[in-house]
Amino acid sequence: MSLSDPALPPALPSAGVATGGRGRWNPLLLTGGVIVAVIALAAMVSFVWTPFSTLYTDTDNLAVGPGVGGHLLGTDLRGRDIASWLMAGSRTTLYVGIVAVGIAAMVGTPLGIVAGMVRPAASEFIMRVTDIWLAFPALLMALIFATVFGASITSAMVAIGIASVPAFVRVVRAGTIGVMKTDFVLAARVAGRRGPGIAVKHVLPNIAGLVIVQCSVSYAIAILAEAALSYLGLGAGPTTASWGRMLYEGQSVITIHPLLVVWPGVAIGLAVLGFNLLGDGLRDRFDPRLAGR
Amino acid sequence: MTLLVAGCSAGSGLTGSSSATSGAAQTGTEIAQSSTDAGTGGAASSTVGASSTQPSGPMPSDGTLKLGLVLAPASMDFTTTDGAAIPQVLLGNVYETLVTQAQDGTIQPGLAEKWTVSDDGRTYDFTIRSGVTFSDGTPFSAADAAFSIDYVKTKWTVGVAKAMDAVVSATAVSPTELKVVLGEPNNLWLFKMTTRIGAMMSAQHVDSLATEAIGTGPFVVSDWQQDQSVTLTRNDSYWGAPALEKTIVFTYFSDPTAMNNALLTGDIQVITTVQTPQALSQFEDTSKYTIIDGTTNGKVMMTMNDARPPLNDVRVRQAINYALDKDAIVKAAWAGYGTPIGSHEVPTDPWYVDLADRYPHDVAKAKQLLADAGQTNLTLRLALPPVPYAAAAAPVIVSQLAQAGITVQTSDVTFDNWLGKIFAPPYDFDLTIINHVEQYDVTTVFSGKPDYYTQYTNPEVTKLETEGLAADHDTFIADFRKVVTILADDAAAAWLWAFPNLMVADATVHGLPENAIGESLNVAGLYTD
Amino acid sequence: MWWGLVRRLLIFLVSTAVASVVVFVLLTLVGDPARTALGTNATPEALAEMRHRMGLDRPVTTQFASWIGGMVHGDFGTSYVTHLPIGPQIGARLAVTMWLVAGGMAVALVVAIPMGTIAALKHRTWAGWLLSSLSQVGIAVPAFLAGILMVALVSVELGWLPSGGFVVPAEDPGGFLARMILPWLSLGLVQGAVLARYVRSAVLDEVGQDYLRTARAKGLTRWRATWRHGLRNAAIPVLTVIGVQLVTILIGAVVVERVFVIPGIGSYLVDSVARQDRLAVQGIVVTIVAISLAVSFVVDVAYTVIDPRLRRR
Repeated sequence: MSLSDPALPPALPSAGVATGGRGRWNPLLLTGGVIVAVIALAAMVSFVWTPFSTLYTDTDNLAVGPGVGGHLLGTDLRGRDIASWLMAGSRTTLYVGIVAVGIAAMVGTPLGIVAGMVRPAASEFIMRVTDIWLAFPALLMALIFATVFGASITSAMVAIGIASVPAFVRVVRAGTIGVMKTDFVLAARVAGRRGPGIAVKHVLPNIAGLVIVQCSVSYAIAILAEAALSYLGLGAGPTTASWGRMLYEGQSVITIHPLLVVWPGVAIGLAVLGFNLLGDGLRDRFDPRLAGR
Repeated sequence: MTLLVAGCSAGSGLTGSSSATSGAAQTGTEIAQSSTDAGTGGAASSTVGASSTQPSGPMPSDGTLKLGLVLAPASMDFTTTDGAAIPQVLLGNVYETLVTQAQDGTIQPGLAEKWTVSDDGRTYDFTIRSGVTFSDGTPFSAADAAFSIDYVKTKWTVGVAKAMDAVVSATAVSPTELKVVLGEPNNLWLFKMTTRIGAMMSAQHVDSLATEAIGTGPFVVSDWQQDQSVTLTRNDSYWGAPALEKTIVFTYFSDPTAMNNALLTGDIQVITTVQTPQALSQFEDTSKYTIIDGTTNGKVMMTMNDARPPLNDVRVRQAINYALDKDAIVKAAWAGYGTPIGSHEVPTDPWYVDLADRYPHDVAKAKQLLADAGQTNLTLRLALPPVPYAAAAAPVIVSQLAQAGITVQTSDVTFDNWLGKIFAPPYDFDLTIINHVEQYDVTTVFSGKPDYYTQYTNPEVTKLETEGLAADHDTFIADFRKVVTILADDAAAAWLWAFPNLMVADATVHGLPENAIGESLNVAGLYTD
Repeated sequence: MWWGLVRRLLIFLVSTAVASVVVFVLLTLVGDPARTALGTNATPEALAEMRHRMGLDRPVTTQFASWIGGMVHGDFGTSYVTHLPIGPQIGARLAVTMWLVAGGMAVALVVAIPMGTIAALKHRTWAGWLLSSLSQVGIAVPAFLAGILMVALVSVELGWLPSGGFVVPAEDPGGFLARMILPWLSLGLVQGAVLARYVRSAVLDEVGQDYLRTARAKGLTRWRATWRHGLRNAAIPVLTVIGVQLVTILIGAVVVERVFVIPGIGSYLVDSVARQDRLAVQGIVVTIVAISLAVSFVVDVAYTVIDPRLRRR
């Protein structure tokens, strides 16, 4: 759902917000970075402290508004503190993203490097496989996994991760091909360096930037997929603090207690926005030719 | 998705669910029953039922009513498929039973005009109504009744069919006389005949049960869109009072909010089962909507695996009960709709004893009991089937048990896994939350033998149940009262609340049953102003 | 050029075959479909009988061949859970979803092309910046959240439109439109935001090109130059993106169908997943994947048609 959509010819440059300037810290990177940092901070802090325990149901204060009963943002239908759930929910959000993106990066990057370094015929073959892989988007894969393994956060994360692999393969392959054409690699080959050595010493450092950008982009996709799954009732369970779950529980009373949907909705939106901006900002940073657009 | 355990018993013993009256179209019938207690078969009682008369109320119209429901039928065959979705639409509307149950719990004539029971309580003689036809035109007679009863014993695969094991023989003595002989007297068998196992079917159509429903009832199935809707159309050759609306569409929603919205925007006229009671405040305008808050036979409970340590220690089970604040649970989980219960019974049961306060909320006492049992840092697993009341109650339960020092880990299980691993051997669970919807099912769920997933063993309970079922009415009630009291004293489970019958309808809709007595949703009596 | 066409067609067919193998492996070979289908009635005898009925005791290749063979003839088998044939269900539901997807795509294009073009042409001004930001926010909102909010506001609070359902357009065009407006907007606005960024980027690429400067030197205004030359060239990458977006909208429809109670293939899929109806999920997934691959194929071909430079491949 963002610009590193792998089906695009890799030449399509990014279309970030007009920065009017270059430099290490363009506004995209900054904004995205701050949002992600805040979320990560909330997650970290929630490990040691949240205003109320996420398990605690304050049955005397059901679905109260902000400020009542010591609850900063109010409570949900079962009396759980919303602020605490938002904080703990960021843990789930980050966790889902890390596992999914981790799987995708660790499988997709080596595959992409290999695809970029082998003979054209083999490379073409890998790309065809990737194309087929692409026909299984995250949500579809998660639904298949839910049928076979039962619906759970774990099956969702693994499924989303697997579905995100082809994006990495494409991006890394394109980058690898570019690196292989450089003089450095030419020199290394002349000097007798073999494939794996070249891969590690030359390719990897040069595509690292691309991989990081793709991580950010895939992260946003993973967050949206998990939210969709939770909305369908195939994600986090009733006692797991998750923004998607909050949405799922709140939407039945949206006209009575709209805030129950607004808080997690904003959180999800901000997280996706943050990772998208971060990705765009990093892309601009790593590829200054594209800055200023 | 509402998980209804109707018919899900894998063990022996009697199970079943009952259908409500066959429509308010029969409100004119007078019933004389010799006993005033709800639901007795007893010895030497006979009933006389008047034939149905045309009600002096509303006249049949050619209108259409759309109802919203949550669990779509997967097929039209409830002889092999568990769950209440299929009988909900077909029982009472398309298929009829020999006897029915009124809103007050008394047994009424259905396809049987009257019946007598022999002195020894083992032989039932039914007088079958004449002039009844199946919707394909063929006549219905005692032979079909005998066939249907046999079919239950031989071909049905759902758990509730076991209740028919009580029958030794069913014979059509004449086209209008059916003689049924039981192995022993059974106070509950006639009630079970008001449930799906009592449905009268046609022998010629049993091979196509999954796709078509040919019955004697006031409606026929005129359309079926898988997962979306079932349309019932008035059966013009029905023997009794005609249904008041010509077309009733059962529309299925997998999303409760969409169903609420559909009522708010006028797409449907009735929500037949409220999944999110907190949302009911949207319908508080009585000039536009009617909220029905009646009773069901459902007992929402947290079942404990009574054979598994440390839950096999009665002190631990009692501690759990003390740690729970049932009123707070109902308030938080079900918006306060529902009466807390303290044993395997609902207030409408004839042997009901109010045990809701057997374990008043007392965290200190809970901790004390746990210490006595040597379980101060207990961790238990709670399995949650995909039903809204379980998801709603779980967080509150987890929170309350945490205050007594018990850590609860929850896991969501699919319906399938719940049935296959928890409900069936190896009964792999510590705690689970479920709604047991069948009427009078204490003999199945807590038979006193470890043949059910509750794993509750108590020979005294078994003895009381067996004796009571075959005894005279007063002993029957007394025995069962003892049973429910023992269950509460033993804290065999943590019963939460009696599941209410919550419906919302347009203010113009009338004739909805206030109480859901069984699995069927009888719609013949529905009409709009 | 014909060789290119045939080659692409072959790739499409082989890809679909491979995808169906993957789906088959996941849904038939993993775990125990017989047990899933039987549920409570799973005595060992019943299980064995069910396995035989489902053909699970045959060699794997035979099972796969008979499944594929059936599908080629339109026979997707009969569900062991619902006892209904799957093929006709897929057909009927797909027709409904196509309406949803087509409308969603139309909305997306109507939003994206003007928005993206203007954002590109004015990309150094505050208007351009605003539009870009809007599209960023649009991307961050999940389609179903947009749907939920819209239903709550427009249907329930304001009562302007029905909250969902589906009526056949031929029978009731007014009702059909009324029910589809909100779902189309939910899908289309979000996808429009995504698409707008591509449009902007593609137009930006073209705007700097020499041939445009030439056109302007010839006397064309900025707008006309952009329109006559720039946009048509910008269409190429955008076309590819549209292909991808179609698939994304198709998947997004899964959730939107739930919000608006639309009986399309997405809700059939979710219901089948909830019932663990493996055979139905198998058939539906293969259908969706085949459609995705077909869309890629068509876009690929269209690509070569539009851009002669690519025809050599």
